[in-house]
Amino acid sequence: VKNCLRVLRAERSWSQADLAEKLGVSRQSVNAIETGRFDPSLPLAFRLAALFQLPIESIFSE
Amino acid sequence: MPLFCRKNMTPLQRRSMQLMGSAMLFTVLTNFSNPGLPNPLLDVFPFLARYVFSRTPAAVVAVSVLAVLPVLFAVWVAARYLQAEPDEFVRALVVRALLWGIAVTMAGDAVAGALMSVYGRPFPLAVLNADLFFVATGIAFRLVQWSYR
Repeated sequence: VKNCLRVLRAERSWSQADLAEKLGVSRQSVNAIETGRFDPSLPLAFRLAALFQLPIESIFSE
Repeated sequence: MPLFCRKNMTPLQRRSMQLMGSAMLFTVLTNFSNPGLPNPLLDVFPFLARYVFSRTPAAVVAVSVLAVLPVLFAVWVAARYLQAEPDEFVRALVVRALLWGIAVTMAGDAVAGALMSVYGRPFPLAVLNADLFFVATGIAFRLVQWSYR
């Protein structure tokens, strides 16, 4: 699953650590999701969508 | 900073690591399979030696049941940690590391079993298993984490 987390994060000038803190996960988790090496669960995807105020499908794509 | 680093652990992770350390100590304390191995309990309570090495049916059952307790305790600690860990990525890493730990332990058991059969010399597998499992899991966690860099 591909995602545009890095772009969304850069638009808000957030570091990986900032995003991790807002999501309540480790910085390594954010890095693994951003690079596409780890697919987040649905609850975490919903949390990301809520945080960026975007629908899930505009953040993640196949 | 790496995950599970001493300065970077959540209270849950710190507590679980302490409990796992207790499980290692528990393994040594409940190992009465070989009188040649050090056991601090026997140093403190020397009269226990007469009972546990008597090889009466009751003593044999007691020694066998005692050997199971640290394993169950370690499984309980791991299950409790995995249930409470809020970070799903860390959870996935820990599960993979635990599986590698179990795999290495089973492989070690196979090798130890073969060597014991060939040379006819028994060795307390509980202590070997604990050492193999904890060391292999720790190394596997670092390697698995490194693979995501």
